[in-house]
Amino acid sequence: MKERISELMDGELEDRAAGELIQALGSRREALDTWRVYHLISDAIRENQPLPQATTAPVQPRRWVALPIAASLAAVSLVGWLAFAPQQDAPQPALAQAPPQVPVATAPALVPLPSATSDYLLAHQGFSPRVSFQGMAPYVRSVSAEARGARP
Amino acid sequence: MIASRAAAALIVFSAGLAQAQSPEALGWLRKIHDATQKLSYSGTFVYQHGGRTEASRITRDARGDIERLEVLDGVPREIVRTRDIVKCYLPESRVVKIDRRSADRSFPALLPEHIGELARHYDIELGGMQRVAGFDCQTVVLTPKDSLRYGYRLYADAKSGMLLKAVTFDAVGQQVEQFTFTQLAIGGVTREQVRSRHKAREWRVEDTEAAPAHLPGWGLSAELPGFRKVIELKRRMGESRPVAQVVYSDGLAAVSVFIEPMEGQADPVQTGTASLGAIHIFTRLVANHRVTVVGETPAASVQRIGNAVEYHRPQ
Repeated sequence: MKERISELMDGELEDRAAGELIQALGSRREALDTWRVYHLISDAIRENQPLPQATTAPVQPRRWVALPIAASLAAVSLVGWLAFAPQQDAPQPALAQAPPQVPVATAPALVPLPSATSDYLLAHQGFSPRVSFQGMAPYVRSVSAEARGARP
Repeated sequence: MIASRAAAALIVFSAGLAQAQSPEALGWLRKIHDATQKLSYSGTFVYQHGGRTEASRITRDARGDIERLEVLDGVPREIVRTRDIVKCYLPESRVVKIDRRSADRSFPALLPEHIGELARHYDIELGGMQRVAGFDCQTVVLTPKDSLRYGYRLYADAKSGMLLKAVTFDAVGQQVEQFTFTQLAIGGVTREQVRSRHKAREWRVEDTEAAPAHLPGWGLSAELPGFRKVIELKRRMGESRPVAQVVYSDGLAAVSVFIEPMEGQADPVQTGTASLGAIHIFTRLVANHRVTVVGETPAASVQRIGNAVEYHRPQ
């Protein structure tokens, strides 16, 4: 069961299997607890990431941050949904209670490059002491910003 | 994996703490600095970041103090820099952007006598010898003493001191950006080679009219450790938007804060951080002004500066 919950969190279960497991989460207290604990662990890991690591290298870490956030959001909506689902076991206070506080977006939002990025970079570059070491090579970044879709 | 990353970070930092600054390494930084100012050269380099690679040609005529950068991939672009002026040519839209650098003369660029001060924020050590584009290079490693700035691995030609390759790395030693010459010829540059290909007659001119200025009311509630204010100026951006710019630097990395009134701006402010190689850009609304913080620093640094920006109505 625990393995399948982990697969569900990672989006690795097929629709039908996922549906069955979600039903199980609604009826089995132990399963729901596991689901919650896994999310707390995932959030704790995410919070412990050094900040630069989470946002510097553009491609992978961005995806890495995005996934757990999506998963935490899913946890909130799922728990919310379960609260309305018909209860099979008679007294199940945990389900009716508010879901545990899940920190959803601790990392600052990632946004696309501003449309004026190449202008900002052109203005910024002239004052970077790095030019003293490297000549104007770093100016190429302002061109790269344009290539990334920012306005020329 | 997290444990191993943490261990790697620990090793990087403790290695830095354990070793004193080497005078040889500082000497090499001075040599690179002098080569950048004194050599004429022409070569092709690649800029790599986030899985992208872009090639450019760079030519410098040291006698005339003129440098020309031409982008070889994608949309054609050319930037020509002289002592006082930077011109960016955009042939497709027939626009030339002109940044007069009158403000620069008073700007404390990295002067050779200030190189030693970098040791306050970076551990500077010599690495091994490496071959880059056919040149035997001495490596110099600048490891940051905190997580507010990036580290640099520089590869300089053992003979001339010319910088052949520069790698920027983060707190866990992961590369965020790289400049590498794939071909380089030192000397033998003619004046013709650094002249723009474009006459730019009848092109639209966007002149930034940058000039030092005092910006009353604007400031930081808390400074970023090691970064001090180096200049405040006013300039125009794009077609004619007035923008204020404040630059902070630790001597090697710089962060610019751009402040623009929201009046007449169509785009709403989208609060958050964007990245491009080692550059992070943090945007936020302060006192009905768009505040954009641009720096070649980790995201946390531009965010801290951005969140500290405040406006107090002058009395």
